[in-house]
Amino acid sequence: MSLQALEAFLARIYTDHDARVRFLANPRDEARLAGLSDAECAALERIDRAGLEMAANSFERKRQRGTVRRR
Amino acid sequence: MAAAANPIGDRFGFTWRPELAAGILASLDRVDVVEVIAEDGFGAPPRARRALRTLARQVDVVVHGVALGPASASPVERRRLDALARLVGDLEPAFWSEHLAFVRAGGIEIGHLAAPPRTRETIDAAAANLEAARRAIGAAPLVENIATLIDPPASDRSEAEWIAGILANTGSDLLLDLHNLHANSTNFGYDPIAFLDAIDPARIGAIHLAGGRWIDAPSIDAAGPRRRILDDHLHDVPPPVYALLEAVGARCSRPLTVILERDGAFPAIEDLLAELDRARAALARGRAAASHSAASGFRRAAIA
Repeated sequence: MSLQALEAFLARIYTDHDARVRFLANPRDEARLAGLSDAECAALERIDRAGLEMAANSFERKRQRGTVRRR
Repeated sequence: MAAAANPIGDRFGFTWRPELAAGILASLDRVDVVEVIAEDGFGAPPRARRALRTLARQVDVVVHGVALGPASASPVERRRLDALARLVGDLEPAFWSEHLAFVRAGGIEIGHLAAPPRTRETIDAAAANLEAARRAIGAAPLVENIATLIDPPASDRSEAEWIAGILANTGSDLLLDLHNLHANSTNFGYDPIAFLDAIDPARIGAIHLAGGRWIDAPSIDAAGPRRRILDDHLHDVPPPVYALLEAVGARCSRPLTVILERDGAFPAIEDLLAELDRARAALARGRAAASHSAASGFRRAAIA
């Protein structure tokens, strides 16, 4: 369950700008609110912030181009 | 066919794109294999599906999935496995492949390939999904290392250790994307040769080549790298990728399928064929270096 919750949390901050802003302002609390473990919360507090923004921008461009089909 | 000149049986080709179709079909004396994107075939109208079947009768094909997302805690979707099984049954490819990524979670479509945390738990989850895929399709997929712009959080091991763990726990061999390796090793500061040394070369079954470009990092992390390589498949294969292909050739003795991926900004087919020739030469140099090294070792042993 925890890995599924972690993947869902990552998917949210990778795709939702507002969620990402809230997370970057307070990573540990946002992760805890999502039900993640202490270790996962600590890991997310150390997240690669520049990489998060770059990946999120890249994913957004891909979604706009429809690279991964939703069929 | 070009492959006949290759004693080991390496095959070289392109990802199938409508923009390249005429050029590829006119160059089948220099193209040994074509990679078909699975999701392009899923919803294709009957005429396009017939065209793919015709293609598969003219040249060896391999099928490459981009949307299954097997490196996930969530089970892969049955309808996607069924569609893959139909396509594989239709085209009878030499193999099929997918990415070591998750692409959706919690009802959210990420839109592209995301790197999961590199942990024992995600190795086990990927192994379970790859086994489900093997049962549904009838053959295990080759699995591809992905490019990532973010160092995946909550990881407890290196990318090489994680991939080696998946290979050790599944029947899947590796589709080694050398531009992804080049990009990740550059962006996150590790040695790509050490990565190759951590992977059993007998488990490398295919190679992807591509190009990318530098993008600037946002200024929110002053301590991090100021720019990173984006794997965009829109540019020529850069020299470090050919060097990595040569290094693979020096390590790997099994026949390899080498695919050049190009998703846009298409140059003339002659330019792409020239890139394929550079790839043939790089792999041959690596193979030759390995043969020379083995022969030298034999002579040393005989003298001793």
